[in-house]
Amino acid sequence: MNRWKKKKTETIKPFKRPTLAGDGFGGRIGYFVTRAITNIRQNVFVNVVTIGTITLALLIVSLFLLVFVNLESAAENWSERVQVTVYFDKELTSPEQNALRGKILALPGARSVAYVSRDEALKRFKSRLRGQETVLEGVRPEVLPTSFEISLKRANRDTLGVESFVSALKRIPGIMEVQYGEEWVRRFNSFLNFARLLGGLLGGFLVVAVIFIVSNTIKLTIYARRDELEVMSLVGATSFFIKAPFLLEGLMQGMAGSIISIALLFGLYEGFLHNAGSFLTFNPVTSGLGFLPLEYIGGIFLAGALLGFIGSLTSLKRFINV
Amino acid sequence: MIQLHNVSMAYQQDASALDNINLKIGKGEFVFLTGPSGAGKTTLLRLLYGALSPSRGQVLIDGQNVSRLPASQIPYLRRSVGVVFQDFKLLQNRTVFENVAITLEVLGWGRADIGKKVMHILKQMGIESKFNLITQRLSGGEQQRVALARALVNDPKILLADEPTGNLDDANKNQILSIFREANVRGTTVVVATHDRRLIEQSHKRIVMLNKGEIVEQMEKEKNRDDQAI
Repeated sequence: MNRWKKKKTETIKPFKRPTLAGDGFGGRIGYFVTRAITNIRQNVFVNVVTIGTITLALLIVSLFLLVFVNLESAAENWSERVQVTVYFDKELTSPEQNALRGKILALPGARSVAYVSRDEALKRFKSRLRGQETVLEGVRPEVLPTSFEISLKRANRDTLGVESFVSALKRIPGIMEVQYGEEWVRRFNSFLNFARLLGGLLGGFLVVAVIFIVSNTIKLTIYARRDELEVMSLVGATSFFIKAPFLLEGLMQGMAGSIISIALLFGLYEGFLHNAGSFLTFNPVTSGLGFLPLEYIGGIFLAGALLGFIGSLTSLKRFINV
Repeated sequence: MIQLHNVSMAYQQDASALDNINLKIGKGEFVFLTGPSGAGKTTLLRLLYGALSPSRGQVLIDGQNVSRLPASQIPYLRRSVGVVFQDFKLLQNRTVFENVAITLEVLGWGRADIGKKVMHILKQMGIESKFNLITQRLSGGEQQRVALARALVNDPKILLADEPTGNLDDANKNQILSIFREANVRGTTVVVATHDRRLIEQSHKRIVMLNKGEIVEQMEKEKNRDDQAI
């Protein structure tokens, strides 16, 4: 604030013609940015409160997102188990295998096809019955069926997708017996749908609550400075000129809040990974628990910036016509 | 400079704050608006800087019809009208310099020019040594001079003041009045709303007296002077 000190001792010459700081929007950006930063410095407490509110609000939402994303990826893993198996009672020759494999892969929804020969089937049996191999004594590979194990694309793993895939599969000549865990697929998918609905609902409520809290906080901080808005409007500032520094301030608060909340979330996540092993039955480090993907982090950052900006914009509308 | 034609203003339907006002104030005039509280002085001033739009009639400022002015044009009107209030309306957490500089920042002036011009006007007001003080540390008279500096720093065509001396002692009143006079001499049209009789009697200017929203008496400069002579 002492930058004017020098001017004081100067002899003040009669005023001539002013040079404009810059015409239109571009020339004034500098002014708006300095104004916004000065405002933040002059109202530290209010800004700390606003940034804190945005941080907490976003932290709650992103914590929810983190849980949701991990549950989704767990569901993704479980749904790998949705598998369609085609059984044959004879060993297929290599050309037969290739011909059928080609036909199956040509169906929409098929992701990969693996042939399980009689020897392979016996080997699996044995490994599953480790320690009780005597049960298999006298069992010859010939009694076991050969099969194609077909895994499906993500989109085809719900009940309808599996059923339509199976009916298409049955139309291929040479395929007689098809099995898939119908009941399991149905249950799994209805559970998944329920979980998604619940998550969406909770997330929706959470987002609405957060928007309310943040916009009300910003409204209060702007209310506290309504005299400033009034003075600006009295000396002939256009409403854009009055609003711009406040909007920039809101934008900066939102960005700061989102960065802090992401940092806090990461801290929580790391802390959980390294300490939760003692009370969880599984080891969280190797369980595939992931942090939010980059696009979600970007989304949270954008949401924070938008929250600050739109919160300021709607609050300003109430006070701008003083 | 200022013309009001059949202007009526009602905040609520049954009670009118101003009733059929016709008034002409020429360029470079100095006019006192007076009358008891609730006579409509403040309402009249608010019409002049576009804070209100009249219920009926027309308000012309410098040939522009304020009542028809779209909201987006009001700021440009206000840049040629300086306004001063009884409660000063200064930003308490900012310095004297910053308070005055706002007027020029709004106009898009460069920093160096703002510095020169603001210090110049502060010197005229006799408060240039306080330029770096927060306004809430100033006395009432000093605060009013800061408010005046803010209103006058861009050489407005019109200066409006609403009870500018209401909170001040006699010495400060005289200083403020002499600043009004100086501004008037430099060509600014000055309209001061006050019920301070002493202030009016000292200054020998045109007086417009309002009561219950109507103009009840007008005294021209000369007549006023005659009264004083008797």
